[in-house]
Amino acid sequence: MPLPPVSRQEIMLFRLFRLILVCALVASAPLGAIAQVADQVPATPGASQAPAAPVGSQAPVAPAVSPAPPGLIADQQKMIKDLTAKTDGFEKKIQQDGEEDSSLVDIRLQLEELSRESLNTALAFRTRLAEINARVQQLGPVPAAGQPPEPDIVSTERQALTSEKAEINAVISQAQALSIRISGLIDKIGNMRSALFRNLLTKRYVLSDALSPQVFSDARDEFGNFYKAVSSWLSFAFKFKFQAILAATFVALGLALVLLVGGRRLFGRVFEADPTNEDPSYLSRLSVAFWSTLLPTLAVGAFLGSTIFFFNYYNVLRGDIGLFLNALASVIGVVFCVNRLTNAALSPRLPNWRLIPVETGPARWLVRLATAMAVVISFNTFLSIVNDKMGSPLSLTIARSFLATIIVGVILILMAMLRPFKARDGSWRPWPAWLRYLSLSLGLFTIVAALLGYIGLALFVSLQVVVTGTALITAYIGFLSAQAIGEEGAFANTSVGRWLSANSSYEDTALDQLGLVVSVAINLMIVLVFLPLILLMWGFQPGDIQAWAYKLATGVTIGSVTISVTGILSGIVVFIIGYFLTRWFQGWLDGSVMARGKVDTGVRNSIRLAVGYAGVALAALVGISAAGIDLSSLALVAGALSLGIGFGLQNVVSNFVSGLILLAERPFKVGDWIVAGEISGTVKKISVRATEIETFQRQSVILPNSNLINNAVGNWTHRNKLGRIDIKIGVAYGSDVKQVHAVLLEIARSHPLVLKNPEPFVLFSNFGAAALEFEIRVFLADVMNGNIVQNDVRFAVLEKFNDQHIEIPSTPRAVVETKDAKAWPTDDDKIEADFVEQEQAKAEAAAEAKRAAKSGRKARKPDPD
Amino acid sequence: MPCEMQQGRWEHRYCTMWKSLVAAVALLAVSGSAHAASAVNKDAETRTLIVTEGGSKTELALAGGETVEFCQNGCFVTLPNGDLEALTGSETVEISGGVARIK
Repeated sequence: MPLPPVSRQEIMLFRLFRLILVCALVASAPLGAIAQVADQVPATPGASQAPAAPVGSQAPVAPAVSPAPPGLIADQQKMIKDLTAKTDGFEKKIQQDGEEDSSLVDIRLQLEELSRESLNTALAFRTRLAEINARVQQLGPVPAAGQPPEPDIVSTERQALTSEKAEINAVISQAQALSIRISGLIDKIGNMRSALFRNLLTKRYVLSDALSPQVFSDARDEFGNFYKAVSSWLSFAFKFKFQAILAATFVALGLALVLLVGGRRLFGRVFEADPTNEDPSYLSRLSVAFWSTLLPTLAVGAFLGSTIFFFNYYNVLRGDIGLFLNALASVIGVVFCVNRLTNAALSPRLPNWRLIPVETGPARWLVRLATAMAVVISFNTFLSIVNDKMGSPLSLTIARSFLATIIVGVILILMAMLRPFKARDGSWRPWPAWLRYLSLSLGLFTIVAALLGYIGLALFVSLQVVVTGTALITAYIGFLSAQAIGEEGAFANTSVGRWLSANSSYEDTALDQLGLVVSVAINLMIVLVFLPLILLMWGFQPGDIQAWAYKLATGVTIGSVTISVTGILSGIVVFIIGYFLTRWFQGWLDGSVMARGKVDTGVRNSIRLAVGYAGVALAALVGISAAGIDLSSLALVAGALSLGIGFGLQNVVSNFVSGLILLAERPFKVGDWIVAGEISGTVKKISVRATEIETFQRQSVILPNSNLINNAVGNWTHRNKLGRIDIKIGVAYGSDVKQVHAVLLEIARSHPLVLKNPEPFVLFSNFGAAALEFEIRVFLADVMNGNIVQNDVRFAVLEKFNDQHIEIPSTPRAVVETKDAKAWPTDDDKIEADFVEQEQAKAEAAAEAKRAAKSGRKARKPDPD
Repeated sequence: MPCEMQQGRWEHRYCTMWKSLVAAVALLAVSGSAHAASAVNKDAETRTLIVTEGGSKTELALAGGETVEFCQNGCFVTLPNGDLEALTGSETVEISGGVARIK
């Protein structure tokens, strides 16, 4: 059969897939497994018979399950032995390297790897264990004392399996013991590291040793060594690797250029501050600050990173030089980033683009001071690496750190003393008090700590001030921009907002709400990015942060309550999905099924509403259970509360139930003309609590459903719209009654909207005081047309009566003239004058009262004399 | 219900916001999905697993019909029949008739 190309391809794919599968099976299954497959084919009938007739020894007993893969246990045992040996090695190393934080972290990572490996060795037994268990189950239990003994072959096999299982369990328990031991070691490392940190912060050095003239000669020696190392490397590199260096530098430079130029092209408009712009919006200032920090920093980072990468690649680096170069790169990166950030935020050249409204002079100083601080700290870090590698004396390290911390402390104090703002009267105003005192106290703290000899503490504080401070300021700028976007109408003015409003049907309000969402998202992102960053800087391990995040996501247990972010989120998601599904189903049922089925609108409406409520209730229930909230624990509380709720929400519940009854019973439907007590109008909407009725004056009346259930409701259009209208007419005594009757009947019959059946009827209803009273009673197909018909009939009656000279009497009213005393002529001026007088009197009274109150207070005070 | 459907038409303004919110929540939910091993007890009586995780042994008592999540990054577990097994943290342990099976 010729196949279409697609299906042929599919078949080819399928064959290929099958081939791969078979290959994989063959490769993965050890020889024993294949033997097992071969064995089991004849074994299956026997195995199925075995439990049925264990007594019948003539039944062919299934041959043994495949023998254990040879050497599995031995292999794993050996592996565990290796792992244990490695762990022993690490334990020793922990003791040796206990003073060095970085090597402890390294050991910890390797131990974690070992722990995973030990778990994996245990995992290797899983299939074998499952096989053994299945086989033992097939063999059935050991026969009890009274029962006939089982054949030898069965009992020996069972024994063999049991002993193998015991062996496997022994190996796994070795692995377990190893993993427990490794966890213990990891905990120990954690304790040692925190002790190290504490030690670093609290260790006091003797400054008098460190600051002796000896230091200078040490420093000179050190510098000489360093210079020698670098220059020898340089000469080596230029002699043998010159081309490689050149190539690496050019490639790195090219990469950075591409990044910078590309970024400038892409973000050019938001990137560059426009000096001609007199009053840039806060948002554009923020975005300029952000991008002009981020892009150049990224470019520099890319340049440095790729330089080092290519140097490594071409084997240019040698020995310690790589470490020095790494350190140098990070120094340059940090200094550049700090400088860019301060420049962007304070923009000393363009006062209009400043994020913080400081004056130009102080802005320039702030940039210089911040950069200087970054330079000092980074240079110190670089030197510490050099010292470390050169094995220089401790006194040199102390002296260097002492100097750096003192400089940072002084810079902090200088920053605090700066008066960056200008008051209206031209005087300089200092920073806000909290900032000033914070900076001042940090600076003083650093200097005092350094002077007292707590160099580690001082260095730690000054490093944190620079690094954490930079991160915090960046995060703060991000928060500010989120706030600016969230403001009313701000998002519509951004380029994204303008693009959206041009290219989509979003209205202003929708854009505004979108802006709110964006600002919330930015806030969230900043927290997600900077919180881990700052935690990392404070020496937490990525693993710790991951574990925390995981715990937060899967559930924090407080007492017996577990709060889990994922649970709550999944509950919300489930509810939302359920809600939209309900809406979709409702729409489909209403629009496609029932509309096509010509179902009555009232029924349609009822079904739609009922489906909607049921669906939302269901979605809420499923959502709550998906969120992991146990409803059964609420049952007790609900039982106790329901009494109170029953009383408190009596009306609401009664209305709710009435609403359900209305939907089921349908005494009226949407569009009906009903009369309920005083209210008469068209039903607009039947909800669960209340029904909306629109009167003919277009007033919406919200009528609680219980009113509609408990009281009589008239419905003009319940089954049909047929209705009768009555029109009263009086004629003068003396008229020809027969003629009148005939004329009226004629008028009623001749109207096109009046039904022939039931027939119109003219009732001679009364001998009134002033007139003979008639009533025309006509039936209409649609009672809604009553007003038109009444009008037409009345006009026609008047016309006909005029023609035939039939009088309609009207009762004359007597006009009585009374002679009153003449009222004061309405005089606006007089009224106004009176009003002014009254106001004055009031004001005077108020003033009097105030004075009285004041004097009263004074009187209560003790006399000064 | 802010996103009321009226005459088969979504009311526009709220819906855009709702849609964005839904998208955000869905994104978060997808990114935040994590895995752990779970144990299901299909028996009526309580079964106990002994879990060794992170250097400590804990007894995990499972009431009848209960499902419990445990063992986030690998652990050893002693099953009711005395077998010791290792779990990576993505399995389901199903106990029925006093016998545990790992899936």
